[in-house]
Amino acid sequence: MIRHGRSIGVGLVTIALATSACVGPATTIAAYEGKARRAAQDALSAVNTALLGVRIHERGSLLENYFETMLSQTEDDISSVQNSFDSIQPPNSKSSDKLRDQLDNLLSDGVSGIAQLRISARREDGPALVQAATQLAPTAKDLSQFVESHGG
Amino acid sequence: MSKLLNLALGVLTAIGGFVDIGDLVTSGVVGSRFGLSLAWATILGVVGICLYAEMSGRVAAITGRGTFDLVRERLGPRAGLANLTASFFVTALTFAAEIGGVALSLELVTSVNYLLLVPWIGLVMWFVVWRVKFTYLENTFGILGLALLAFGVALWRLHPDWSNLLHQVVAPHKPGTESLQVYFYYAIALFGAAMTPYEVFFFSSGGVEEKWSKKDLAVERANVFVGFPLGGMLSLSIAAVASLVLLPAQIGVSNLSQVGLPIAVAGGKILLAFSLLGFVAATFGAALETGLSCGYSVAQYFGWQWGKFVSPRKAARFHLVVLLSLLFAVAAVLTTIDPVKLTEYSVVFSAVALPLTYFPILVIANDPDYMGENVNGRLTNALATVFLALVIIASVAAIPLMIWTKAGQ
Repeated sequence: MIRHGRSIGVGLVTIALATSACVGPATTIAAYEGKARRAAQDALSAVNTALLGVRIHERGSLLENYFETMLSQTEDDISSVQNSFDSIQPPNSKSSDKLRDQLDNLLSDGVSGIAQLRISARREDGPALVQAATQLAPTAKDLSQFVESHGG
Repeated sequence: MSKLLNLALGVLTAIGGFVDIGDLVTSGVVGSRFGLSLAWATILGVVGICLYAEMSGRVAAITGRGTFDLVRERLGPRAGLANLTASFFVTALTFAAEIGGVALSLELVTSVNYLLLVPWIGLVMWFVVWRVKFTYLENTFGILGLALLAFGVALWRLHPDWSNLLHQVVAPHKPGTESLQVYFYYAIALFGAAMTPYEVFFFSSGGVEEKWSKKDLAVERANVFVGFPLGGMLSLSIAAVASLVLLPAQIGVSNLSQVGLPIAVAGGKILLAFSLLGFVAATFGAALETGLSCGYSVAQYFGWQWGKFVSPRKAARFHLVVLLSLLFAVAAVLTTIDPVKLTEYSVVFSAVALPLTYFPILVIANDPDYMGENVNGRLTNALATVFLALVIIASVAAIPLMIWTKAGQ
């Protein structure tokens, strides 16, 4: 009975790891597009979190430590999205390569934009923070358009 | 007067102690993706936990014995061991998630990386388990957890369209952007978060720690039937503020800082500071509860001396199990596994283990040899049977839905 219980436990942990860690190849263009849309949605969420955080911070409604941690976590989130997306093997077609380049550029813009926000926040440089947010806003718009144009 | 005070204190700690990292994360995730269209799952879970927590508390008050002790005696060692294995696995996983939750909450306060905080949290937790009396421990964190009422204040200050929120609750509608299987995956997660097995073990073992007897049944019922539903309202308010602020901004919750953003929008720094106090108290309190529950379950099954009503020397094996569980939980978080993901898995695995937890309680609560005239009434049995069926459905569907949806993606 103990062995049975232990094997159930091991099985459940394996399932959890299998559902979270694996990034498999996309065998069709539609599947690849679906994964790209999901990545863009997650990236958009991270970028919008950072922008909302800056707006609240500018109003003086956000604690400094909270703001810095939030930006750091958001940066980790979007970096993780980019790493996962880049590790997907796209189907052998020009359209999927184009899709990959398009989204990868947006994800890079998002990662560097949020990193700039984090740097400005830790330096307590208000004007630089506002400028970085202004530069990041178009990325949010582009990511939103990407999601919409790919079935979101 | 002191009885009334005890009653009020019990209800307040039940409210403050209801929400844990599972409720914070799952309610935030669901609110930001589904609005209040999954409120029915939380409501179902709260009704279920009320039903079974009352039963287990009544069993503790009448018999003066812990759940696992009775389960082994009534259903035999093999069935008891199956119950223990499933419950211990889920509770230990939840313990790790709660420790991660404390660390993430403190990271938001200090901006120190949460991994650096985890060993210190483990040390403080061990000190509290070793030195602090059960009543102080339960009341302190329960009362401080009431700071999470900041979510209710935030909801009121956001001036929502109340009729629209109510409409989402009473006429649930799956958002077009989400698939049906993802919708039901999160329904099970919410159900599992509300009905987490450790809540029942802790509640009934706490009853034995506090030496409940038949005359305490009124207080026990007030704790459950007033405190738990109000705690459930707190979970719903977390989802509601997420649906008002994060959903329109296309923000899906993936870390704890996002759960607190609507509070800052509605109430600024002061309300945010209150909510952070609530985050730390709720997760630390729940970590203590899960850690003690690990010890309760193993010690009660093997018939060892257990509890904080005796000195650690007299309950050495109980304290050893708590210590080993704490070391496991700290080590699990230090593997750098994302605590938010760990929380999501712990609530889904809770749903898987639910039948093994709740079926034996139903059997014992119906046994006149243990309960005498305090066996379940017909209405309680009818409702408990319906909920047992729901629990089995959730348990069977949880893993297939987790694989199918890639954990709700």
